[in-house]
Amino acid sequence: MSTQAARPTPPVNRSANTGQTKEKEKRPGGLSSRFFGASAMSFPTWAYALFFFVIPVALVIFYSFGYKPDQFTAIATDHLSFDRYPEAMSASFVSTFFATLRISLFGTFLCLIIALPFAYWLAIKVSPARRSLALALVMVPFWTNFLVRTLGWQIMLSPDGFLSQWMQGLGILDGPLDILYTRSAVQIGVVYNYLPLMILPLFVAIDASGQKLREASYDLGAGKVKTFLRVTLPMAMPGVVSGCLLVFIPLNGDYVTATVLGGASGSMVGQLIANQFNTAQNWAVGAAMAMILIVSTLVVVGLGFTLLKLGQTITARLNSVPLKDGRA
Amino acid sequence: MTTTAATETTPSTGLDHLEIRGVKKVFGDNTAIERLDLTVHKGEFLSLLGPSGCGKTTLLRMIAGFETPTDGAILLAGRDIVSLPPHRRPVNTVFQSYLLFPHMNIADNIAYGLKQAKVPKPEIAQRVREVLALVQMEDFAGRKPEQLSGGQQQRIALARALVNRPQVLLLDEPMSALDRKLREEMQLELKRLHTKLDTTFVFVTHDQDEALAMSDRIVVMYNGVIQQIGSGEDIYANPHNGFVAGFIGKQNFVPAETVGTESGTARLRTANAIMETTSLDRRPASATGTAGTLTVGERVRAAIRPERMRVAPAAQERPGTNSARGTVMSVSFLGDVIQYMIVVGDNDEILARVPAAGNELLASGTEVDLSWEAEDVAVYDCEDGVPSAEDGV
Repeated sequence: MSTQAARPTPPVNRSANTGQTKEKEKRPGGLSSRFFGASAMSFPTWAYALFFFVIPVALVIFYSFGYKPDQFTAIATDHLSFDRYPEAMSASFVSTFFATLRISLFGTFLCLIIALPFAYWLAIKVSPARRSLALALVMVPFWTNFLVRTLGWQIMLSPDGFLSQWMQGLGILDGPLDILYTRSAVQIGVVYNYLPLMILPLFVAIDASGQKLREASYDLGAGKVKTFLRVTLPMAMPGVVSGCLLVFIPLNGDYVTATVLGGASGSMVGQLIANQFNTAQNWAVGAAMAMILIVSTLVVVGLGFTLLKLGQTITARLNSVPLKDGRA
Repeated sequence: MTTTAATETTPSTGLDHLEIRGVKKVFGDNTAIERLDLTVHKGEFLSLLGPSGCGKTTLLRMIAGFETPTDGAILLAGRDIVSLPPHRRPVNTVFQSYLLFPHMNIADNIAYGLKQAKVPKPEIAQRVREVLALVQMEDFAGRKPEQLSGGQQQRIALARALVNRPQVLLLDEPMSALDRKLREEMQLELKRLHTKLDTTFVFVTHDQDEALAMSDRIVVMYNGVIQQIGSGEDIYANPHNGFVAGFIGKQNFVPAETVGTESGTARLRTANAIMETTSLDRRPASATGTAGTLTVGERVRAAIRPERMRVAPAAQERPGTNSARGTVMSVSFLGDVIQYMIVVGDNDEILARVPAAGNELLASGTEVDLSWEAEDVAVYDCEDGVPSAEDGV
């Protein structure tokens, strides 16, 4: 946070008034008053980050070193240790953890491949007049409570729900739809819940990549697919990255979807953590689990970025022209 | 795509290279191009010149394939290309805003078209190097477009199109974003490239100086209609209608009435002068009008070029035929010429340009006599809806 507050302090303008600078520098508090001025102006930003991010995360870290002293107390921190971490890594936690990771990664991937053609269509094919309507329709689910929307899927996916009846009626299924309270139901639910978070940044990025550049690509002999792969997609990469982050990170910590649609066999790490805090009243183990989740999420994101960079470097190598000279 | 190795050796077939036949383009209720016929010769530098909204860019985009004609055919070397999508047409475009791909370096930008055409890599490298040398940008291959100035990006955009050896190079106001000095340099450069490459250039511009400086032929367009096709000199010296007369160069239009036609000359009366003209033709206001001969009593517009005006300090006697007395309202010294804005009578503003050499600079407010020759007076229909140059009403 402090870096953000410090950034706006302008460099001392030496070049403009070399003669007067020395005098100014001598004046007490010249730099620090400027520093505090900038901090004051960015108050809303750093205060928000401080109170809603830095302090809560610091508390979680702190609690993860504590312990549960007795049946009726959730946390004690008079004696700090790393002991809660091995305790948190139980066999059931580890298996749920990897299941969660699989749901998150696959869910992010599904969101991406569903959102990409849709965002492309929205940004390029839909007339600007209709576009705001289409975008509003994408946003409509957000007007309803997350839990209520997920409960809607519970009704839809239930063995005696209308989807099940239709599919049996059409002869697609022999018996009732047996998907509720499984990982598949959770997978469907998370894709549904997080899809708009993928569509919006992709739409913005594809929209910004520009029709004119696509024309230039067609003009140079590239068809629609080539133009998409060589021009539109590379230029929309920032949108792909932010969409994946927006979906993957909250999805990894989601527990509502899994609670409503997953039942016992479709649980996610988020539920285990929530259980430690709410049911077991063991904040120390809950905090340790949360830390494991946070760190592993960061590691996965970091790995993702590395793979992306690597991929971009490789494709750039493959596509570039090997000029002997002039490749500076 | 646009070129294969075969293209460069395509022999001149004797057919006219690019032929636009009866092309019409309608956007909703708005007709952008009205049944247009145009033939572009092989290796020619042809400019489409006209004010914005005249349809010149629409015509270019139809040749490139970005717009489909509502009607008509576009033939390239005898083959109708209307049904071909842009990426299958052997033409390339230099765009107004360059449109270099920002995520690729200069070499990759230039190589883009060759890669689509599946040219072997060593040949791509060779041709990219050649074209970079051609536009004198060898040292920039590894840079990103954002690191280049506007003029440099312009050269790269040109190289990116030319490297494909297109049968026709389309240029869509490529210099409008450059400053004047750079623009003049690029004009010379473009002319040099055209001479060297022998490619057909179709150049869209609203800048008549640019068109006059570079073109073999100029197509003047207005309201989706070709007003005149010809060389720069031809269009300037012999405009077929009032629009061309007013659009190319400066022109003094004066409302007049025909008062007599005798052997070889016609007499016109304007608010402040009697004119004699050797032109007995009345040219139309625009290409959609019809020409005719002058008849007595007809209301027309007389037109005289500013550089055909002579300016002298007012003499003792009143000026006679083909002359008028006025007052200098403003003087601009333009280096090689002196430009006067002279008010004749109540509010006839006449523009006159006299060579700076051998003529004294007359101060604003000086009373002067204007005079001109009968052969410098052209006569046009007065018709509403055709804008004329703002000077000389």
